[in-house]
Amino acid sequence: MTRRAVTPRWRRTIALVLMAGTLSLGASEAAAQVWAGPSGPRAGSVEVSAGAAFVGKVPLGDRDAEESRNINTGSGPFALFASESTLGAGPAALLRLGVYLSRAVSVEAGVQYGRPRLSTRLSGDVEQAPTVTADETLTRYLIDGSLLLHLTGLSFAGGRGVPFVSAGGGYLRELHEQNQLIETGREYHAGGGVKFWMGTGARLGIRVDAGASMRSGGVDFRTGRRTAPMAAGSVMYRF
Amino acid sequence: MTRRAPLLLALAIVAAATAPADAYLKLGSRIGTRTVTLKWPAMPIRYFVTDRGVPGVTSQQLQQTVARAFATWDGVSTAAVSSQFVGFTTATPRGGDGATVIGFQSRPDLDRTLGATSFLIDTLTGDIVESDIFLNTTFAWSVAAQGDPAAFDLESIALHEIGHLHGLAHSALGETELRAGGRRVLASESVMFPIAFSPGSVALRTVRPDDIAGLSDLYPATGFSRRTGSISGKVTKSGRGVLGAHIVAFNPRNGSLVGGFSLSDDGSFVIAGLEPGPHVLRVEPIDDAEVDSFLDLTLGVDVDFRVKFHEKLVVVPRGGGATKIEIKVLPK
Repeated sequence: MTRRAVTPRWRRTIALVLMAGTLSLGASEAAAQVWAGPSGPRAGSVEVSAGAAFVGKVPLGDRDAEESRNINTGSGPFALFASESTLGAGPAALLRLGVYLSRAVSVEAGVQYGRPRLSTRLSGDVEQAPTVTADETLTRYLIDGSLLLHLTGLSFAGGRGVPFVSAGGGYLRELHEQNQLIETGREYHAGGGVKFWMGTGARLGIRVDAGASMRSGGVDFRTGRRTAPMAAGSVMYRF
Repeated sequence: MTRRAPLLLALAIVAAATAPADAYLKLGSRIGTRTVTLKWPAMPIRYFVTDRGVPGVTSQQLQQTVARAFATWDGVSTAAVSSQFVGFTTATPRGGDGATVIGFQSRPDLDRTLGATSFLIDTLTGDIVESDIFLNTTFAWSVAAQGDPAAFDLESIALHEIGHLHGLAHSALGETELRAGGRRVLASESVMFPIAFSPGSVALRTVRPDDIAGLSDLYPATGFSRRTGSISGKVTKSGRGVLGAHIVAFNPRNGSLVGGFSLSDDGSFVIAGLEPGPHVLRVEPIDDAEVDSFLDLTLGVDVDFRVKFHEKLVVVPRGGGATKIEIKVLPK
C-alpha cells in the first residue's frame, strides 16, 4: 500500500460535503415540518431500498512485457508486446438498510453484487501476433456503510422530495472466474442524490444517487487507489 | 549444457535429456523408459575452483566471481539452495573425480562455446553426484564492474552455467535476429537463454522471474507451492497437439515473464511457480535459437505455426492450478 497525501481535489470534495452537511443541520430546524409531512422519517425510522447501481470503467494501467536489451541493439528495455488493462463499466444489484438517527441524519448498510469484465488489450507484438483483448468476468461483492445528511431545508414538491449528501466506506471482495482466486480491498465513496416519497403515508419512494467510488486493493494492476464514477437508482420503503 | 557465443551455428552435443516436467526446462536423464529430473540430493553444493587465471582474470577473481554467481542463486528466497566454496584445486573441470570443479579450460575445438556444464549422476535416482563447469579460454574474459567491450562478462556466464549446475535447462525467453555469420541476441529475460549477450554486457548478472520460478520448482522453499500456482493445458493445431511450442505467461500486475514448453505429442504444457492472479498467455514456435538448444530433435518439434495470444485471461489460484487451457494455433 502506498500512502498518499489528500490532494487538493479531494480536499475540495470533502469541504463541499462538510459544508452541505452544515447547511442541512442549520436548516433542519426551520424546515423539519415540511419534509415528508408529519408522518415523515424520525429517529428510529427504518428504510430499506433495492435497485441497481452503475459503476464506471476503471483503467488499470498499461505495462509492456519487457526483456533486458543486449548492448548495441538500442536503448531502454525491449518490449515484447504491450498490454493495457481495464476493469469495465457495468451494472450491480444493490440492497440497503438504513436507520434514521434524526429527521435529517441516517446511517445505512448496503451490499452490491456485480459482474464486471476485466480485460487486457495485447498489442504491438514484435513477432506480429494479432492484437487481442483477453478478458475474464469477475464476481464482485461490496459491503458498505454510509452516513446520509438530508438537506431538509432544500426539500421540494411539498416536502416529498429531499436532496441528500452521503459518504462512507466498505469492504470489497472480488472473485475471479470459477472462484479460483479471491482478492479483497477497501472502498470509500462520497456523493449525493435525491429521495422522493410517494403516497399519503410517504412510506414508498424512489431514490437516485450519484458520486464517486474510490477503491484500493481488490483486482488492481497498479498500486494505489482508483476512482470510478457511480450512479444508482432504487425503490425504497420506510417502516 | 553449453552457453554459446553469439555467432554459434552448431551446438555442442547435449548429454542430458530434457525432463518433461513443469515449466521452463529442467534437466533430466532417461533411465529405461522413464525420465528423471536431475537435482542435487543435499545442500550445500560444495565446489572447488581451479587455481588458474587467464589474461584479465586472476584465479582469485575467478573464485570471487563464481562465489557471487552462486550467491545470486542462493539468494532466491523461494528456493532452498546453498553453496560452499571448498578451496582451490589444480584439477581440471572434468567429470569423474567426485569433486565439483569450476574453472578455465582451453577448448579451442569448441570455438563457439563460452562455457559448458557436465554432470555425473546416479542413474537410479537422478541425483547429481558431481557437476563441473569449464569456461573456455578461447575467449577473452572480464570481471570489470561495468563490463569490458572487448571481453565476455565472467559473472553473467558463470551465473548461466551455475543455473545448469543446479539442474536447469535452457529458457527460450529471448529474441534474436539473424545476421551474416549467425544470430545476434536482441534481448532476453532469462539468465538461462542459450545465447550470450555481446561482450561488454553485464545485464544478465541477476536472475529473472523465469529463472526464479525454475529454481524454486526444483528446490522449493517451505510454503512455495502454497503461495504460488500453475497453469496447465495444451497447444493444438487443426485439432492435434503441438509439441515444442513455447508458452509464455505474462503477469500484467508486475510485468513478470515465465516460459514453458509443450512437451508431449498432445501439446500438453505446465507452467508452475507463478504468482497468483490473472496472466496473459502467448504462444510461439521455437525460432530464436536452434531447436536442439532446448529439446531433443528426435521428438519432432513443430515450429510451423503463428505466434498468438490466448483470448482469455488465465487466473492462477494460490496453491493450485488453472487447468484445461487450450490454445489453438494456426499454421504459418
